[in-house]
Amino acid sequence: MTVLKTSMRNFFAHKGRMALSAVAVLLSVAFVCGTLVFTDTMNTTFDKLFAATSADVTVSPKNAKPDDRPQTGRPETLPASALEQARGAAGVKSAEGGVSSSSVTVVNRENENMGSSNGGPTIAANWTSNDLKAMEITSGHAPRGPTEMMVDADTADKHHLKIGDELRTIAVTGDFTAKITGITSFKVTNPGAAIVYFDTATAQRELLGRTGLFTNVSLTAADGVSDEQLKQNVAAKLGAGTYKLETAAEAKDSGRDSVGSFLDVMKYAMLGFAGVAFLVGIFLIVNTFSMLVAQRTREIGLMRAIGSSRKQVNRSVLVEALLLGFFGSVLGVGAGVGLAVGLMKIMGSMGLELSTDDLTVKWTTPVVGMLLGIVVTVLAAYLPARRAGKISPMAALRDAGTPADGKAGLIRAIIGLVLTGAGAASLYAAAHADKASSGAGVLALGVVLTLIGFVIVGPLLASGVVRVISVLVLRMFGPVGRLAERNALRNPRRTGATGAALMIGLALVACLAVVGSSMVASATDELDKSVGADFIVQAGNGQPIVPQAADALRKTPGIAHVTDYKSVDAKITTPDGRTSSEDLSAASPTYAQDLRRETVSGKLSEAYGKDAMSVGDKFAKDHDVKVGSTLTVAFKGGRTAHLKVAAITSDDTNVDKGAKYTNVTTAERYLPADRVPQNMIMFAKAEDGKAKEAYASLKAALKPYPQYKVQDQTDFKKDLKDQIGQLLNIVYGLLALAIIVAVLGVVNTLALSVVERTREIGLMRAIGLSRRQLRRMIRLESVVIALFGALLGLGLGMSWGTTAQKLLALEGLGVLEIPWPTIITVFVGSAFVGLFAALVPAFRAGRMNVLGAIASE
Amino acid sequence: MTTAVTIPRHGGTGGQAAVAARARQVVKAYGSGETRVVALDHVDVDIARGQFTAIMGPSGSGKSTLMHCLAGLDTVSGGQIYLDETEITGLKDKKLTQLRRDRIGFIFQAFNLLPTLNALENITLPMDIAGRKPDREWLDRVVETVGLAGRLKHRPTQLSGGQQQRVAVARALAARPEIIFGDEPTGNLDSRAGAEVLGFLRRSVDELGQTIVMVTHDPVAASYADRVLYLADGRIVDEMFRPTADAVLDRMKDFDARGRTS
Repeated sequence: MTVLKTSMRNFFAHKGRMALSAVAVLLSVAFVCGTLVFTDTMNTTFDKLFAATSADVTVSPKNAKPDDRPQTGRPETLPASALEQARGAAGVKSAEGGVSSSSVTVVNRENENMGSSNGGPTIAANWTSNDLKAMEITSGHAPRGPTEMMVDADTADKHHLKIGDELRTIAVTGDFTAKITGITSFKVTNPGAAIVYFDTATAQRELLGRTGLFTNVSLTAADGVSDEQLKQNVAAKLGAGTYKLETAAEAKDSGRDSVGSFLDVMKYAMLGFAGVAFLVGIFLIVNTFSMLVAQRTREIGLMRAIGSSRKQVNRSVLVEALLLGFFGSVLGVGAGVGLAVGLMKIMGSMGLELSTDDLTVKWTTPVVGMLLGIVVTVLAAYLPARRAGKISPMAALRDAGTPADGKAGLIRAIIGLVLTGAGAASLYAAAHADKASSGAGVLALGVVLTLIGFVIVGPLLASGVVRVISVLVLRMFGPVGRLAERNALRNPRRTGATGAALMIGLALVACLAVVGSSMVASATDELDKSVGADFIVQAGNGQPIVPQAADALRKTPGIAHVTDYKSVDAKITTPDGRTSSEDLSAASPTYAQDLRRETVSGKLSEAYGKDAMSVGDKFAKDHDVKVGSTLTVAFKGGRTAHLKVAAITSDDTNVDKGAKYTNVTTAERYLPADRVPQNMIMFAKAEDGKAKEAYASLKAALKPYPQYKVQDQTDFKKDLKDQIGQLLNIVYGLLALAIIVAVLGVVNTLALSVVERTREIGLMRAIGLSRRQLRRMIRLESVVIALFGALLGLGLGMSWGTTAQKLLALEGLGVLEIPWPTIITVFVGSAFVGLFAALVPAFRAGRMNVLGAIASE
Repeated sequence: MTTAVTIPRHGGTGGQAAVAARARQVVKAYGSGETRVVALDHVDVDIARGQFTAIMGPSGSGKSTLMHCLAGLDTVSGGQIYLDETEITGLKDKKLTQLRRDRIGFIFQAFNLLPTLNALENITLPMDIAGRKPDREWLDRVVETVGLAGRLKHRPTQLSGGQQQRVAVARALAARPEIIFGDEPTGNLDSRAGAEVLGFLRRSVDELGQTIVMVTHDPVAASYADRVLYLADGRIVDEMFRPTADAVLDRMKDFDARGRTS
């Protein structure tokens, strides 16, 4: 009981010193809870959406997938007869045929894309009474006839559309224009799909190419008939296995699966970053408790002298940690919900609409947050607590000083060096692995081992590194610099731990920066080596290129050739009797010029001959295929062909590795017209000396099709660089959390050091150290700690990044590029971070009363 | 009687005044109204140059406060304090700090040294802070005088309490301040180490011409001084020249008795 009471008193007496640790716990817990709340809310939103939009039972074609964007640009269909049959099943109250396609683009008169900018789909559909479950017409009326359409209110708002405006819908079957006659609003949250509605006949004609087809049938159950029952009745009527049947609940689940995997990736990535922040927070907590224990040595000695057992002392410190973890976590859970709301707002500004009405806080979220916060805090405080327990009763009588730990230091050095050595060996092995998949584990091991090793040897490195930094940076500040150096060196364990916290975040930054810039450099290098085409055309969101856009490109003046490139699904049976599902690259013969490929045998140009193809080296070896072999190729949705292998391409490339080429015309011969995939990507080459004009003409030709972009090699490279840069920026943003916690750690260390050194500061002030000099001394100490962390972190991160590049060279990351500007910016930036961290501690030290400071115990 | 201005100040310009520091009608009070406590009550005092002055008095008499005020470590509520010709009352922190750094030396009861610096670095610290080069010859002489020649590279933790105080004395002397203030410099030492330190202080006055003001409650320590000032209730109540330990002790007893009867 007394233990608890003393702990409580100590905790509240030192609440100022606990504050920064509490903030660290708070931030990490908030990030975890925020992530959970945010992803749960997204799930709720999608669940509600799918639940609202699903009919009691939906009949769809067997191979239809939710949110499918088929390469053919045409959704899978079922005949109108299926609707009539289903309508006749027992327990059906009503049945409606639906037409819906997400392979469309809707543009206004100015050729601006009305679709979502965040990757949400654009959906064109017929307006059915089933839609009234989730939506209501808020103005105008439902579309009637071929020139009328309705748009969803979010899209109308975003693009300032009103009734009477004309929109052009670009579908694979052609473009058509209609006038807005109605606007319809979702009753649930629509996260970002742009939806346009037509009447059924128009939708069938314009989206599917002819009437008499639907993409799904929505069935409503009669009163008293369960969805499950209805599904069985309809299945019996339609014949099992002919179509896919889903109840509303199943539709919700499959809808959730399709977005869920994306959400899960996001969730675990963010939790990963929260984990890094926790890790960094541990250093802060360890430091705080170590300092509190050191400051309280006499007090603890006294407690031991009057009969407290080791265990009691140990426990009293742990109870304080428990309190810290508790308060930090409670606040963190609250802040997490706020963070989730903030994230939703940010997503909203990027076009992903989420409503706070759907805010989902599961009971597990606060439990997980609290548990994590408390457990991590108590674990982090365990070492200092144990040290407190070891304080002898005699300490009460001695002057409190830095505990000597020579032996511990040696053991530490050995363990640290062994781990670092093992880590370095793993990294070396990873860099020389001959398979990327097996090397990845070794790389991860190396990363973890070197990180732990560095954390352990950090305090030992501190003395050396700090001295070096001092020579370079501090000495120019004269005696104040020397005092700062000595202070930073005074407790290497503390400096080491504080710097290590910063090291972790910066190591990840450096590693990713190296990998990122190597990716850009490698891709650029590869493009230079292998791509001969002047221009590349593709959709921003991976949609295939509709024929009318492809035709526009072909008609562009100043172009030497335009290359089609389609990906065709087929089952290939090789002479060894094995059959596998493969992608065929069906391209124009000019593709051989657009992308230079080495062949192992045969001539690539011959692969574009009639009924010919090429295969990759590895496939050829695996299946014992030689030039001249004949492969049986069953085109999906088409006939079976016997194609002769005319060339075997080398796999020593990173573009189109292992691709099986064939001529577009070959694929077209064996596929019905509506089964021929649209172009995935197109290439063009300008006539000699007309590159500039051709680029302009291509851009002009694609003006009516804003979903596609044409890029010359320079722009393509720049785009690639920008995309990777953007990705890196997001990751840096998330790592900022860990770095903020580390900076709090520096502030914490300095603040506690200032408290610890009150008398020293008083003495120095008495003998003539000015306030400015004192503040500068503390700032310099902070800068040294920050630079120490930065140096270790950047070094470690660069070695990780280099190893990763060496390993990924097997996967095409052939060029190592160290982004020196980034590295140097981070290094210099961390000096400023150090200055910033010292602001408050330095200010407080400067304000200290000289006499009071000298007299303090 | 709150005055101890017994030594007439040599007026005029040019030559150094015989008074190193003086206080005029100095009042130091804490709090206000009912809770107002007067620590110094209109004190006048002159500190003679080249002399060793001890300030004595019971706890709470204001002796430490007087020293802190004279040394520019504490502000006064009223009156003036001069260091040589400079009035230090009313100076801003920056000027005061500079003054302490360049013109005053300190020896505290304990915790005089920075643990991160070795003995020599501690000794030269005030000059380092000021960006001045120490006078090598003088430094050697000071180090010689306090007998630390062999221990200059030692860290404070490697030195005994007496040695630490000797380093503090050396630091105070090294910058050749106009005046050194000691706040019970031997309070934490055993009598032998204390005697050693006091001996150095005495010698620095005799041989180096240093001015020293020391607060103490130890009659033996006070007997090393040229002059002893007695404080009680914030006033100077008596003084004694060329004291001996016994005489000081007797005088103290006397005050105690008077204090009890009054």
